[in-house]
Amino acid sequence: MKNKLLDIINEMMEEAGTSTIEELKEEMSLRDDLKMDSLMLAELTVRIEDEFEVDLFEDGIVRTVAEVLAKIERS
Amino acid sequence: MQWIIVTGDSRGLGKEITLQILSETQYGVIGISRSDVNETSDIISNYPGRYIHLVYDLANSKEIKNLYINQIKKIGPIYGLVNNSAFAYDDIVSNLNNKLLDQMFQVNVYSPMNLTKYVIRDMLLNKVQGSIVHISSVSAHTGYKGLSMYAATKGALEAFSINVAREWGEKGIRSNCIVPGFMETTMNASLNLEQKQRIYRRTSMKKETSVNSVASTALFLLLEQSVSITGTVIHVDNGTL
Repeated sequence: MKNKLLDIINEMMEEAGTSTIEELKEEMSLRDDLKMDSLMLAELTVRIEDEFEVDLFEDGIVRTVAEVLAKIERS
Repeated sequence: MQWIIVTGDSRGLGKEITLQILSETQYGVIGISRSDVNETSDIISNYPGRYIHLVYDLANSKEIKNLYINQIKKIGPIYGLVNNSAFAYDDIVSNLNNKLLDQMFQVNVYSPMNLTKYVIRDMLLNKVQGSIVHISSVSAHTGYKGLSMYAATKGALEAFSINVAREWGEKGIRSNCIVPGFMETTMNASLNLEQKQRIYRRTSMKKETSVNSVASTALFLLLEQSVSITGTVIHVDNGTL
């Protein structure tokens, strides 16, 4: 699951023309460390929904990689 | 094949928009309305494989998520959305009935907003630079006795459209409104001849708005030829000035 998430994020980084990441650390912030703005977060949401059938932001703000993984695990 | 969703596809303006998309373009149409599939069987038989009618009551905006995930998403990538369905609750505001007001806001505002949500998500997922068209009403710009509550739903839709245009423009997703004048459709069937004449006298051209002209404008706003137009409002109202 973590690897799939890493693939999704790196694919988005490539498309945005920014450098990809080697390892996904749980404490990483989506906005500060992964440099995602609100539209990129929207794109992340739909890709995660397509892969894991979970809507990230449906009931609250998700800030870190750990919180994303927790949401996916709970689904 | 990419698809365009048209709400209220079974009659009036929605049916005309559906027919123009099917005859003038290569897109498929997903029609959504309460009407039984039999009411649209003539379109289905003329355009096999390019037209799907989903029976759904847009007075229930909360189930649109399930409608999208269980049905719409499985059909194919969405290119466009025409928010055309509307509920007309006409009365003077001193008679405001909350149940009817709620129902009207569900159909005219909440469902278009929820459909826009899932259509934009679908466009992001499939990297589609699509187009959203909302059908407003001349009553949001010119006052008519008995239409204050209905006009409020259309004003909400226009404000929503402008801000969606700003929000998603950098992804190439467009959002525009059409403001039709009064047309000879079932929506206005309750008006008597004298009421209609009074309304038409307020237009520059002194007659009812052509359904065909409004549908052609919707088609224009959906297609590539309007690629630089977003966040705008086009009046198709015989010059209600």
